Amino acid sequence: MTYPPPGQHPGNPQPGYGPPGYGPPPPGYGQPGYGPPPPGYGQPGYGPPPPGYGQPGYGPPPPGYGPPGPHGGPPGAPGGGAGGIPRTLSAQSLPSDDNVNPYVFCIELSGDWFMSKGAMLAYYGDVRFEAVTQYSSAQAWVAARFSSPVYVHDWVVASGRGKVLIGDRGFDLNSYDLDDGNLTIKANNLCAFSPQLELKQSIVPGFVTLIGTGKFIASSNGPVIFVEPPFRADPDALLGWADCPSPSVHHDAEWMTRSMLGGLSAAFGRVSGEERQYDFTGQGTVLLQSSEVAREDPAVLRLVESQTDLLSTSQAGQLGQRLIARAQQQQH
Amino acid sequence: MAQLSAEKRVLRADLHGDRIRAASGSMVAYEGNLDFKNAGMGGGGGMRAALKRAVAGESLSLMDVTGQGRAYLAKDAMDVLVVDLGGDTLTVESEHILAHTEGLRLDVQFAGLRGMTSGHGLATTTVTGSGQVALVSEGPVMALEVAPGQDLVVDPDAYVGSRGQLSMNLVSGVSWKSLLGEDAGEPFSLRFTGHGLVLVQSSES
Repeated sequence: MTYPPPGQHPGNPQPGYGPPGYGPPPPGYGQPGYGPPPPGYGQPGYGPPPPGYGQPGYGPPPPGYGPPGPHGGPPGAPGGGAGGIPRTLSAQSLPSDDNVNPYVFCIELSGDWFMSKGAMLAYYGDVRFEAVTQYSSAQAWVAARFSSPVYVHDWVVASGRGKVLIGDRGFDLNSYDLDDGNLTIKANNLCAFSPQLELKQSIVPGFVTLIGTGKFIASSNGPVIFVEPPFRADPDALLGWADCPSPSVHHDAEWMTRSMLGGLSAAFGRVSGEERQYDFTGQGTVLLQSSEVAREDPAVLRLVESQTDLLSTSQAGQLGQRLIARAQQQQH
Repeated sequence: MAQLSAEKRVLRADLHGDRIRAASGSMVAYEGNLDFKNAGMGGGGGMRAALKRAVAGESLSLMDVTGQGRAYLAKDAMDVLVVDLGGDTLTVESEHILAHTEGLRLDVQFAGLRGMTSGHGLATTTVTGSGQVALVSEGPVMALEVAPGQDLVVDPDAYVGSRGQLSMNLVSGVSWKSLLGEDAGEPFSLRFTGHGLVLVQSSES
């Protein structure tokens, strides 16, 4: 993973922007080895690589979104300038492949990009959006790049030329560069990726893996926190992981003892929600978001349903009965 | 003259014996001697606007705040932006209006087809006059310029408002063919042409 070299950042058009908390992290917040964040704007935790980390890619951070770039644009452009209205942005003054503010990212489109449905906020230029299913029948490369039937309905291909602003529920947006690497991320939080990357479905439900060299944009509820394994993460706060093996599920030992006494069926029910964690081992990086607001992922249903093929007819019947019982129980 | 000032997600309204209108239920705290009462049907603009609003499904429920003191107003922890108007017109989705000062007039403008597809009302609200209007948005508002040869296309759910000489058309972003059988994310968008500004929020939901 790399961050684009400073030259690619034409500067934040709204200097000094950003909510509290976008400044330097509180002491002890950053993970050991991840160095100081870029001053002012950046996510806590992005920093120069620690000595000996050896990962090609965690490049130096952008220099704090410092001076306004060449496209700074005069304040009070035509039509603007009235009191209260934020500084006017135009097709020229919007950043190219950079954040407009913590929650909006501007993609300089020239060719094709994969985008999550509904991520588009606005665009300038000549851009067409077509469903991936539609596009892949005409363009064989799309099918080759997008190898996830479960998620194919949630994505569109944006093609053309222009500047596209994307956002996701007002969450923080960040761009990441993969350099011949792989990164697995919560499917809900992936907003867009360049077509040089290949998308595959992760074995862990609700997650997708990006492989190759290219750029992607992902959202997080609150700033992203980088952690190194060995590490245990709450499934809801887990955003993704890079370069390390897929996690295994860890159950709290005390909870295990109780559930074994209480019978095996309890293993399906989560009690406090904290007894189940994802256990990471090996070399790599784990990405966490600071909040655990879960959103219903329509693809999870399709995913689970496709897995029921593994069941025999009588097993499928048993599962059906259990689900009916559960639905009835929740109604009361 | 009442003064509105935004403090991140809270609006501070300083009243000096005069009156502002604010979205019903938006008061979180106040100090001083303030009176809150329902402005009744219409949310300003009189009976005619109220009737148009009822027909168009543009819902706006405002209360009158009068007296001397300071009120803190907020809505769903959304970002607040105060816009100063000096005799010009701001077009805004009524759900984004948090409060406005006395000198402003709110009216309803029919938006044609747009409302039907975006799930908002059939109409938008226009704010005219001199004074201040406070808008709420999911995430900060961006002001995007529209100029001849520089059209802007906006997701209906991200659209907050606009000002200037703009005309708005519906465009279908995802081709009709792909709409069949599945829910396309960007089925319709708004294309703005002309000369002016479009206010866009950071969230599409």
